[in-house]
Amino acid sequence: MKRDITLKVNGIKYNLNIETHRTLVEVLRETLGLTGTKKSCNEGECGTCTVLIDNKPAASCLVLAVEAQGREIITIEGLAEGTKLHPLQEAFVKHMAIQCGFCTPGMVMAAKAFLDENPSPTAAEIRKAISGNLCRCTGYQQIVDAVMAASAALRGEA
Amino acid sequence: MFIRRLPKFEYHTPSTVREAIAIAGKHNGDAKFIAGGTDLLLAMKKREIMPAHLVSLNGIGELRYLTVLANGKPSEEAGGLKIGALTTLAQLLASDAVKKDYAPLWDAVDVMASAQIRSLATIGGNLCSAVPSADTAPPLLAMDASIEIVNHSGKRTIPLNEFFNGPRQTTLGHKEILTHILIPKMDSSSGGCYLKLMRRNAMDLALVAVAVCLKLDETKKVCKEARIALGAVAPTPIRVPEAEAMLAGKKIDEMQITEAAKIAGMQCHPISDIRATLEYRCSMVEVLTKRAIERTLQRIQA
Amino acid sequence: MSMKKELKVVGKSVERTDARPKVTGKARYAADLVAPGMLYGKLLRSPFAHAKIVSIDTSKAKALPGVLGVITGRDFPGVPFGTRPDTRDTLPMPITKVHHFGEGVAAVAAVDEDTAEEALDLIKVEYEELPVVLTAEDALKPDAPLVNEFMKSNICYTSDFLFGDVEKGFKEADYVREETFSSQRVTVGFVEPHACLAEVDNSGRILLQGSKQSPYITWRHMCRALDIPLSDMRIVNPFVGGAFSGKHDPMDVDFAAVKLAQVTGRPVKIVLNYDEVLAAYRQRNAMNATIRLGLKKDGRISALYAENILEGGPISGIGPFNIYYFGAFLNIPYKIPAIEYHGKLVYGNRAPCGTVRGQEIVLAQFCLDSILHMAGEDLGIDPVDIRRINAVTDNWTCANGIKCDVSGLPECIDKMAAKIGWKESRVNKSVGRGIGFSCASHPSGPRLGGHFGSAVVIKLMEEGKVIVTHGGTEIGQGANTVFCQMAAEELGIPYEDVMQGASDSDTTIFDSGMFGDRCTYWDGNATIAAARDLKKQLAEIIAPELKAMPEEIEFADYRVFVRDNPERGMDFQRAVRRAYYEKGAPLYGRGYWAATDIDLVDWKTGKGNLAHGLDFIATGIELEVDRQTGKVSLLRCVHGDDAGQPINPAMLEGQVNGGSAHMTGHCLWEESLYDEKGRALNYTWRDYKQPTAVDVPEYFVEHVHTYDPYGPFGAKGAGEASSCSTLAAIANGIYDAVGVRIKDLPITPEKILATLNERKRDEQGGSTGFASGGADEAQ
Ligand SMILES: Cc1cc2nc3c(=O)[nH]c(=O)nc-3n(C[C@H](O)[C@H](O)[C@H](O)COP(=O)(O)OP(=O)(O)OC[C@H]3O[C@@H](n4cnc5c(N)ncnc54)[C@H](O)[C@@H]3O)c2cc1C
Ligand code: FES
Ligand code: FES
Repeated sequence: MKRDITLKVNGIKYNLNIETHRTLVEVLRETLGLTGTKKSCNEGECGTCTVLIDNKPAASCLVLAVEAQGREIITIEGLAEGTKLHPLQEAFVKHMAIQCGFCTPGMVMAAKAFLDENPSPTAAEIRKAISGNLCRCTGYQQIVDAVMAASAALRGEA
Repeated sequence: MFIRRLPKFEYHTPSTVREAIAIAGKHNGDAKFIAGGTDLLLAMKKREIMPAHLVSLNGIGELRYLTVLANGKPSEEAGGLKIGALTTLAQLLASDAVKKDYAPLWDAVDVMASAQIRSLATIGGNLCSAVPSADTAPPLLAMDASIEIVNHSGKRTIPLNEFFNGPRQTTLGHKEILTHILIPKMDSSSGGCYLKLMRRNAMDLALVAVAVCLKLDETKKVCKEARIALGAVAPTPIRVPEAEAMLAGKKIDEMQITEAAKIAGMQCHPISDIRATLEYRCSMVEVLTKRAIERTLQRIQA
Repeated sequence: MSMKKELKVVGKSVERTDARPKVTGKARYAADLVAPGMLYGKLLRSPFAHAKIVSIDTSKAKALPGVLGVITGRDFPGVPFGTRPDTRDTLPMPITKVHHFGEGVAAVAAVDEDTAEEALDLIKVEYEELPVVLTAEDALKPDAPLVNEFMKSNICYTSDFLFGDVEKGFKEADYVREETFSSQRVTVGFVEPHACLAEVDNSGRILLQGSKQSPYITWRHMCRALDIPLSDMRIVNPFVGGAFSGKHDPMDVDFAAVKLAQVTGRPVKIVLNYDEVLAAYRQRNAMNATIRLGLKKDGRISALYAENILEGGPISGIGPFNIYYFGAFLNIPYKIPAIEYHGKLVYGNRAPCGTVRGQEIVLAQFCLDSILHMAGEDLGIDPVDIRRINAVTDNWTCANGIKCDVSGLPECIDKMAAKIGWKESRVNKSVGRGIGFSCASHPSGPRLGGHFGSAVVIKLMEEGKVIVTHGGTEIGQGANTVFCQMAAEELGIPYEDVMQGASDSDTTIFDSGMFGDRCTYWDGNATIAAARDLKKQLAEIIAPELKAMPEEIEFADYRVFVRDNPERGMDFQRAVRRAYYEKGAPLYGRGYWAATDIDLVDWKTGKGNLAHGLDFIATGIELEVDRQTGKVSLLRCVHGDDAGQPINPAMLEGQVNGGSAHMTGHCLWEESLYDEKGRALNYTWRDYKQPTAVDVPEYFVEHVHTYDPYGPFGAKGAGEASSCSTLAAIANGIYDAVGVRIKDLPITPEKILATLNERKRDEQGGSTGFASGGADEAQ
């Protein structure tokens, strides 16, 4: 039960012949080798598999790859331009918002989608926006600080 | 026992409701519609269900819209909000109309799941899954919403009240599609809210949830209509007419509110499970009902 | 180590060495690895908590096209392993019986994951259910079923000790209070599930790349249980997605991957789904403890008596340390002249326990700081003052022999109390709000046995950069960064010129692992030693040219020069070139360190100075309790933290905040639940809730700089103390807010509300109860 689909990931079109029961996270990680997107719970609860689909955050473990056909998918690998990190990534680095790093890709993608919608958030709004991403290492404080700093940078204020 | 990869299935992509129903009809009982997939795919990974066919509703444009109905249209005279079943929770959250005029629904969507789920999950899917804690159900019940269901022979509109049969059970047949939800317009003397109690402050199913809608008279002191709906405390989301009766037609004061809340706490019939005991749930229905009524009054009187 | 000088790299919040690969998604974790011809492994798990394995029929699974190997416990030599020689009680996979729900009983390797999963359904296991032991009480019943087949009773380990004159201490006390406390089973909660990739080369040598916290421990245990010499296995660590003591020892996952790789001759990868982790892997021990505390009128503690039973699942793991630790760390952070302790670790049929962040000090401190608060209240002493009165100070020797050289605790308490606004909070105390305190101390790596040591190699490269390779593990805490900072500081070169070597048992050197705040301290000292060794070698080559003795050569600011005549010197890079090109000498600095001047723990008496570098913390948490729902909202949390000289302050703050946030879940709602037959009930993240960003308070860290005489650059270990001080701070805060004292964790809204309602009934207030206004909304 395979299908020919075209997936557009980080601006690149991939022509694939995949089984219909493959989730998007499986195709990203296993077929395309884009292992920056993580997988842990496989039930939508941890947020490590977060990618952007048409600029909206999505748990890629709950999306059929065939349903992502024709849509714009962005993964953590698609954020930086060459060695130039996205301001959010810069802020995560600078504010020590990264420890083991396993939650980081999903966290950054969730924050990216959020800042695109709300460029001037409060700390409370940031916390709510990343509440679908579990982190056991950091206690979230420095992640919130980083997203706050990135929002200022993206507004051109820092 | 454990979450697995998805089982195999055949995947169909109809572009109209008719076509979707036809495909489902062909695979009688062995096909499932997929909307956002956030409930369905998880159930399949847990092998709770293993449909041989998935019929995707996502290619059906006519199901994904949010329309504020103008007054005076022949069939929908009173005006209101018409929500296509495939409208995502994220779309509802982003809608000013929902936030302003259908606040209980907005309150609910605001505390549902996470951003990465809300952009996938649909309101139709939430209702069709019909779990007792489905967050969109109590506000829709309290706002007296109705739904349209389509099958091969036609369509019917029923009050949402008549939709739920039990945990994960509805009146919907295998080959029927929920196409849209219709919420009557609230006037300026009406209002409502939704309160949800969770163990965590986010990403959690309701332990107890309460939606309240009130319509006051011109003085904004006397209650003309009251609707109270509860989530997670019975086999289905429920209305509590006995509590509503405490308010309707009366000048609302502290005592009335307390009484109505108490009755709501007595009328629910929750279970004890790993998340909370029956006793706690009942007393929380009481607390939340009181708060929801108070909050609603504040909103209308503001 | 010796004199203080101006620091260039140490003490600065430099960028983490691994920040960029992690933030771009390039960091490769175990699940990301692939190898040519790789197969996918899956484990079949027991539906029972305790059952005899009558038979396992794998024939159908083996026959499934695409399946290349199926194994069971019988494929291993049957040699048990364990942390101590007297606790070797664990098999790679079970042979005669299963011990807990979800235990792996068979494993398959197939060409893809779908096939592997399908094969699991074809394995037929015949079980004969056995009665289960769930709690400590069950375990200690005279007719209790025996949980572990290698042991003679359900008592796995005991720890008893008596220091000082306890009898006299209580006799002379003006006030004595005894309380019981309990703590539930909680999961460890790292976000990356267990995963590994195993390969076997032509010679039969095994390569395991797994998500391991202490590869050395895994390696030794695995070689014992596989009955092979250490040289037959190589272990390499990829990036590790958190561990918190849940990934020390080898798991059935690791053993199964290795065995399947041996059987099939192909690389085998096994990656768990998180529900498997929640169901069947490491949790924190359940605790039942009784504490008796004697105090003088002025608030000074005169004696302490404690009993504690930990239930730790069917294997001992590092449990023997846990039961000792609980008692040992009741000796500190307060001055307690006399102490008696009786601890038991028992087996049960819930998931195996290791320990979790902060080890069992977390539980001990919960008891001690809760009872201290109660005592202070009864004696009319302010909760800040009572901690100040008893706080350990410089040069204090605890009753059990732990020696504290430098204590910043009094200052930690003062700074914390000022920052959280304790005094001000008393003026206009709002209803339902409260502030709670707790202190804690954590050792910088204990010396628990003969294998305890740390070693580092620094390779000098031709262009003047260096590679630091150590045996500690980077699991997110920032060890790599810290050692690179130290190496840069000691060598006088820029931080950017220091690179991190791979964690590989072929090149990485002996190290007992990553736990107990030990890496910064132990490996840190080893790093300094290695850097000095390198400098010595380089100085010997350069000295003649600089017309000086090697001992006169100094390294700083990227230069090599004569100490008393700094002009006479050369650029560091030129010095390196001299060594390489003129002498043909590649240079490796080697360093090792162990706290050999302290005592090995005497397990019989519990006596001994088991660790240097005690770090301290004083924690204050401000919270609000909704008096109608019982729900607790954590608002602000301030930590006064003494980690000696902070090596990287921002990174240290992350450790402190994270350790504290971790325990908020433990305190308020996390719990691994089981039914009466020992089957796990809430083993998905939908049902088992860990704190999210909206559940934790806003954090503030007040650094208290001290200088540890033995620590690298005066540093102490750091990071775990905040885990230890969080439970009691919340419990005490809830008491301050609504006067409810819950001693059995977790402190759920239901428990709080039940107490409030009971009190309301006692007071039988007239109006129907709900205090409206001021109370917050349920969301
Ligand atoms: C991590 C996580 C958190 C969640 N949190 C919440 C929460 O806080 N509150 C809450 O209420 N729910 C929550 N959910 C559940 C779920 O997201 C919602 O119920 C969601 O709205 C379901 O919509 P869907 O489009 O994904 O449905 P699907 O999974 O696509 O479908 C669900 C069921 O409805 C049927 N169906 C869907 N649409 C139609 C239609 N138009 N006509 C006929 N049948 C249809 C499908 O066949 C299927 O049986 C959560 C889920 C996850 C994974
Ligand atoms: S793996 Fe998708 S949310 Fe956890
Ligand atoms: S940094 Fe480890 S889980 Fe977030």
